[in-house]
Amino acid sequence: MQSNQTFADLFRARGVSRRDFLKFCSLTSVYLGLSPSIAPALVEAMENKPRTPVLWIHGLECTCCSESFIRSSHPTIENLLFNMISLDYDDLLSAAAGHQLEAVRKKIMKEYKGKYILAVEGNVSTKDDGVYCMVGGDSFLNILKETAADAAAIIAWGSCASFGCVQNAAPNPSGAAPVSDIIKDKPIVKVPGCPPISEVMTGVIAHFHTFGTLPELDRLGRPKAFYNTRIHDKCYRRAFFDAGMFVTSFDDEATRKGWCLYKMGCKGPTTYNSCSKIQWNGGTSFPIGSGHPCIGCSEPNFWDKGPFYERLASVPFLGSDSNADKIGMVAVGAAVAGAAAHAAVTAVKKVKSDKLGNDKA
Amino acid sequence: MGRIIEEIYVWRLPVRFYHWINALCMVALFATGLYIAAPVLNPALGEAVWQKGMAWWRYLHFVFAFIFIANFLFRLYWALFGGDKYARFGGFRPWSPAWWGKPFREQVESYLFLRSDEPNYVGHNPVAALAHFIFIFCGSTFMILSGLAMYGENNPGGFNGVWFGWLIPLFGGSYSLHFAHHLLAWIFPVYVIMHLYAVVRHDIVDRTSVTSSIITGYKHKVEEEPV
Repeated sequence: MQSNQTFADLFRARGVSRRDFLKFCSLTSVYLGLSPSIAPALVEAMENKPRTPVLWIHGLECTCCSESFIRSSHPTIENLLFNMISLDYDDLLSAAAGHQLEAVRKKIMKEYKGKYILAVEGNVSTKDDGVYCMVGGDSFLNILKETAADAAAIIAWGSCASFGCVQNAAPNPSGAAPVSDIIKDKPIVKVPGCPPISEVMTGVIAHFHTFGTLPELDRLGRPKAFYNTRIHDKCYRRAFFDAGMFVTSFDDEATRKGWCLYKMGCKGPTTYNSCSKIQWNGGTSFPIGSGHPCIGCSEPNFWDKGPFYERLASVPFLGSDSNADKIGMVAVGAAVAGAAAHAAVTAVKKVKSDKLGNDKA
Repeated sequence: MGRIIEEIYVWRLPVRFYHWINALCMVALFATGLYIAAPVLNPALGEAVWQKGMAWWRYLHFVFAFIFIANFLFRLYWALFGGDKYARFGGFRPWSPAWWGKPFREQVESYLFLRSDEPNYVGHNPVAALAHFIFIFCGSTFMILSGLAMYGENNPGGFNGVWFGWLIPLFGGSYSLHFAHHLLAWIFPVYVIMHLYAVVRHDIVDRTSVTSSIITGYKHKVEEEPV
């Protein structure tokens, strides 16, 4: 494994022209929201810095993050991105298997102590000593702890690793926990989404490689460059939202006219992601663009905030499936009933005491 | 029959103004808030550029919200620096065990029909003070903070986002905060029902003119006269 190779070496070895390499660098700096003056720094880093070794481990997950990562509309660039990071260990994609592969992981952990990036896809089963997710004969819980110990930083790929996703939706039978619940002493970048957009994934790695630091994170630990604004803020259907022009059924005229999907349960107004900016599959489309409301897949616990096609989440209340309005109306009803009952008792007592007073007099 | 034996000026003009502005804002905020959550009116087919359906409702919600906030802050100012003995929450001391003692207990007993006499207070009785603290002070504080946090989402990195945005991770995401804001909005109609009932009932039972006092400012003490 030639881990001292720079990205430029790799590009050259793969027959990519310098022109394409520069194009890649400027595109990446744009995706990262960096100023054009930073592009030369990116080129410099890509040409001169040895590639950062990445160990990519898989826990409880569906592999949609990897699927997103390898999907590409610009094959050259995407393919290069995929090869670019010195992906030294990935139990999904590696040609080697078994003990050989585990040996590589151990080797990188030793040789690049404190320098490698640990990319985690999927989350950690914690119940019953983590037996619900075993990798290579050990629990994923142990593997994560062991591999994270000497990592420079951790990238939590996808909603699973970032927040938990479907595995830790109620009632969370396997005790699934996001990476940040297990590892407390390492910087963690959360790249939520189910899956995250591939350009967002590569952008985060490129940032670390260029500057040697993690990108600026927001309060939930997500890179601000990609998760600073809501889908809603950059949505091309926003004009219909402000106009109050809504789709009310999936086969109405408004659907054909491409009106706002707010009333169909769109979670765009509460979801932070770049779908409405970068879009998917190289800018082809994104869910709202295809006429489907956003389900909020990059938000914490989005599975428990359903149904997907309603604005207001269902919550259990007095043993029933309810929502905020139903609970509120029950409370108002109870207040009215209470006041009426209290008034009735007051009236009865007043009549009684008046009678008593009259009798006395 | 009864005779008015004393007239007390309890609610001074700033307090009455606060009360009615607050009442107006609550109704407007609740109505516009419900509409924003479930916009029932749909315009006819046409160009979005001519319609402002949702934008107006949101705009109204924000306008009333800022009036509500200013009014709330004014009331706190008036309590602290107004020099108004009926408006400074002086008697409300829930941290002291004594406050939960006899007067509070007697008022609760009276509401539960366990005593025949009604304790009388010029300002708020201890149970009313507690209800106002929970519904109006705590409730408004939560609605204001969560509202500003959500308002800040329109402008990431702006003033509201920086100062109030911490509520979003605290509640586990933007959606959960919206949900909490929506759910807790319902405490206001619940409060209004209890408030109106209590006022009317006290007026009938104690005959202290409490209903008109929030317009005139005056409460009355009534003495029973022998027939």
